[in-house]
Formats: sequence, C-alpha cells, structure tokens
Amino acid sequence: MESVGETVFIPARTGRRVRRQIIDRVLVLALTALAFASVATVLGIIGFIILKGLPAISLSFLTSPPREGMSAGGIYPMIRGSVLLMLGTLVLVLPLGVLGGVFLAEYAGRSTLSRLLHASIASLAGTPSVIFGLFGLAVFVLMMNMGVSLLAGCLTLALFTLPAVVFTTENAIRSVPESFIEAGLALGLSRWQLMWKVVLPNALPGILTGIVLSTGRAAGEAPPILLTAGIYYATGDLPRGWDILKQPVANLPYHLAEGYRQGGVIPEAIVWGTCLTLMLFVLLINMWAIIVRTRVRRKQAW
Amino acid sequence: MVETAFPLANEQVVVSAHDLSVFYGETQALKSVTLPIARNRVTALIGPSGCGKSSFLRSLNRLNDRIPGFRLQGRVRILDIDPYGSRVDMIELRRRVGMVFQKPTPLPMSIYDNVAIGARSHYGLRGRRLDEVVEQALRQAALWDEVKDILRRPALQLSGGQQQRLCIARMLAVDPEVILMDEPCSALDPVSTFRIEELMVELAKERTVIVVTHNMQQAARVSHYTAFFMYGELIEYGASKEFFLSPKMQATEDYISGRFG
Repeated sequence: MESVGETVFIPARTGRRVRRQIIDRVLVLALTALAFASVATVLGIIGFIILKGLPAISLSFLTSPPREGMSAGGIYPMIRGSVLLMLGTLVLVLPLGVLGGVFLAEYAGRSTLSRLLHASIASLAGTPSVIFGLFGLAVFVLMMNMGVSLLAGCLTLALFTLPAVVFTTENAIRSVPESFIEAGLALGLSRWQLMWKVVLPNALPGILTGIVLSTGRAAGEAPPILLTAGIYYATGDLPRGWDILKQPVANLPYHLAEGYRQGGVIPEAIVWGTCLTLMLFVLLINMWAIIVRTRVRRKQAW
Repeated sequence: MVETAFPLANEQVVVSAHDLSVFYGETQALKSVTLPIARNRVTALIGPSGCGKSSFLRSLNRLNDRIPGFRLQGRVRILDIDPYGSRVDMIELRRRVGMVFQKPTPLPMSIYDNVAIGARSHYGLRGRRLDEVVEQALRQAALWDEVKDILRRPALQLSGGQQQRLCIARMLAVDPEVILMDEPCSALDPVSTFRIEELMVELAKERTVIVVTHNMQQAARVSHYTAFFMYGELIEYGASKEFFLSPKMQATEDYISGRFG
C-alpha cells in the first residue's frame, strides 16, 4: 500500500475534544474514588474486628470450653455447635433443594403451577430470618415437641437456606448447554439417565457453590437458631449417639448475641474473639465453595 | 412401503418423508417435502443456511420436539418406525437412529464412559463385554490408537477433531442402523475432515448415512445421492454424480457453481 507513511488527518475540533477528555478523566477519577471507598469500608470493618478480636484468640481459646460461669476460657463448644448445625443443615437442605431445583428447571415447564412455585419461593427467599426462627419455634420446637434442640435448629436453618439452594440449582441446570442435552437425547438416554449422567454433572459446580454459599450465610445467622437450637451454658461434653440431635447446642452467633445481652458477664475480649472466629468460620466456608468450584470446573473444563 | 422413488431405481428405501412440513411458531421451515432415502448409502443434504435441511434431519429422530412452537405435518417413516405415531418408543427410535452434531459434544466424563454410556444403557453391557464394544467403536471411529492409553481421562481434554470422532464412536457403540450427521466437519480442520469423510464412506457399507453439509466438495466426494433444499423446499434430488455434473434445475446450478449461498 502506498499510504503507509501518510499522516492521518483528523478534523480539528479541538475544543470539543479537550472537553471530552476532561469529562473522561473526572469520571474515571470519581469511579476510582467510589471503588476505593467501598473497599475501604469492608477492609475497615474487617480490620476493626481483627484488631479487637485477635488478642483474645489463641489455640486454647479455640480448643477449650468456657470456664467460671462463661466469664473465662475458650469457645470450643460454640465452634463445634456451629459445625454441627452446618452439617445438619447441609444434609437436610441438599436433597430437598436440589430436587426442588431439578423439578423447577426440567419438569415444571411454563405452567401456572411453576409460576406460583417461583413466586412463593422468591418471597420465601426474601423473608427475614427472624420469621424463620419464630416459625421454627412454633412448629418444630413446640408443635412437634422437639424442644430447643440441634434437630430443630437444623430444620429451621434448612428452611431458611432452601429457597437459595432451589434457585441456584435451577439456574445451574438451566445454564447447562442445550448441546449436551441434545447429545444425551440423541443417544437414546432416558429422562432419568439424562438428568443423572448429563445434566447434574454439568450443573454440579453451580449447585455446589450455591449450597455452600447459602450455608455460609446461614452459619452467621443468629435469629433462626436463637429460639430453636441455642443454649447459653456450654461444656466440652457432647451426648452420645443420636441423643445429640435432641439437645440444644451452643454456637457462635448465639454466643455473640448472648455476649451482648448478658451485659458484662462475658468479657468483651471473649465477645470480640468470638466475633472474629465467626467471621473466619464463614470465610472458610466460602473459600471452600470457591475451591470446590474451581476443582470441579478444572476437571471438566471445556 | 414407499411411493415410486424418483431417483432410487434399484435401492431399498429405509427413510421416507411424504409431504412433510415443519413449522416453528409462525415460520414454516419445511414445505411439503417428499424424500425417500436409500439403505446403506450416503445421502447428502445441501442448501443455503435456513433452507430446512437441518430441520429435515432433526425431524427424523424427533430432536425438534424441544424447540418451542415446533409443529409437523405429513408422514415420516424411518426403518419400520413412525416417529410421530402415538405408540413410538423414543428410546428405541434413538437407539436405531444415531446422530452426530456440528459441534463435538463429549459429555463431561471419561473417554471410556462417553463411549460406554449408550451401550450400557441400551444393552446393559458390563465388564469385559462392554470393554470390547468400546474398543470396537473407537477402532471404527479411527480413534483407538490415539486414546487407548488414556481411556480414563476426561473426554474434554481431547482436541476438536478427536472429540468429534469420539462422538462418532459413542454413537457407533449403540449400533444404530441409520446415522444422521448435522454438518459434522464444519468445526474441524482439513485433516480431521478427511478422516471423517473416509469414515462416512466406510460406515455406509452397512448403515444408512444422511449428512447435512455446507461443503459441496464434501457432498460430491462422499455421497451417493444429493438433495438440494432452498427456502424449505426440496429443489432437486438425484444420484450425486449426475447431480453435480449436470443439474437439472437452474437454482441448483447457480448454487453448486457458487453463484449464491
């Protein structure tokens, strides 16, 4: 080409160009400032909690039970209780939520029933957690005679996380590429085989992430377990066998709430230490979600 | 079983469409197409994009059912099955009529399981017998030598050309009598394309192959019969040799000489 060396002539609308550049700069600056402000807020909160909580945390704080009427010692039973609550919730919500999501994605279609189900699950998802707590108290604790117990707490938390799990499962299933479904159909797989062998494995990363993230959120919620599963006085001992389900359990959010309610019985350092532990606990769960997702994704990367 | 098949003088007809129309909502994708297809031959369906050739193909194994607004008129027979009859067994239909897609679609499981899944589910094969079927299918698809040592690896790690041959092996493991191919080479490099073309000819020795393609050289190379579609209508149908050397219709000639499409 001959025009390689030529300078390209741009009509000199200099005034407008300068104004555009200024607006551009100002906008970028403003957006950067806002981004920093939001990050700074989060970091500020985390930093504050670390600053306040770190002095209390030690290996013995995490591994020993409280002593002297809760005014000293560690928070081991609370950590254990939170883990038990999470595991129980996971076991309960997993089949229910995943099956619900599968039903909505594959079987409900576009019927009125499906719309009704969507609307009710969406409003369930928007319900404040304290209402789940009251519902759990009324139905599981009182009506079904479970008493304040691990089982009642897990059931309440399972209900609380159910909508999120149903929706993430449904979305994960809906986002499975049509080409995979067609491939399965063309092979003559039955609907069940198609779901089990093709659709669910493909949707697995999304489903797992949804489940772990929503259990992570549930792990930090105090209201649902306040009235259904929590107990103030905790020891290092656990009942044996299935009896464990019938007993209330101490746990992190409950301990935190009580820490303030009891006004001064639990020393401030312990409360902040619990606060930091809870934060790390939730963080750990979420990190696990990310690890699981990337692992599964890598295994089936396309 | 079939109306006097115009170009198929000495052939056994295995698939036949009679006055077949396909609609998606308001749009009509196929306009009363009548097309008999010969047993154990390669039949190529060609035509510009949106001409209805894929719609025709996907109507044969009822893969169009999932598309909202899909409607079909006319008669279809494939093997001895009426795919749109009230008593059709879809699983049986798709066992006997296999399909390969444009985009390779290995399932997110191992190479072995990809090939085994159909044979396992249709014939309940296990263990040694299943191994044999998998090996045979992979050999037939000219993939065995490349994957025999990595059968447990995820199928998605294979290259595009290998993935497509894996999909062919997966289909062969089910042992279909009719094979539908929807532009099986359009996402592949020339070498892979060549191997799959060879395969089509090989397969047609004991199976019926119907292939949709945009590649006219491919149609000329591999097919015994060619059908040309345009705007949802069947324009011309005949033995590929005559079809490409001396087309009868002006539109066909324009299309195969590259004047449009």
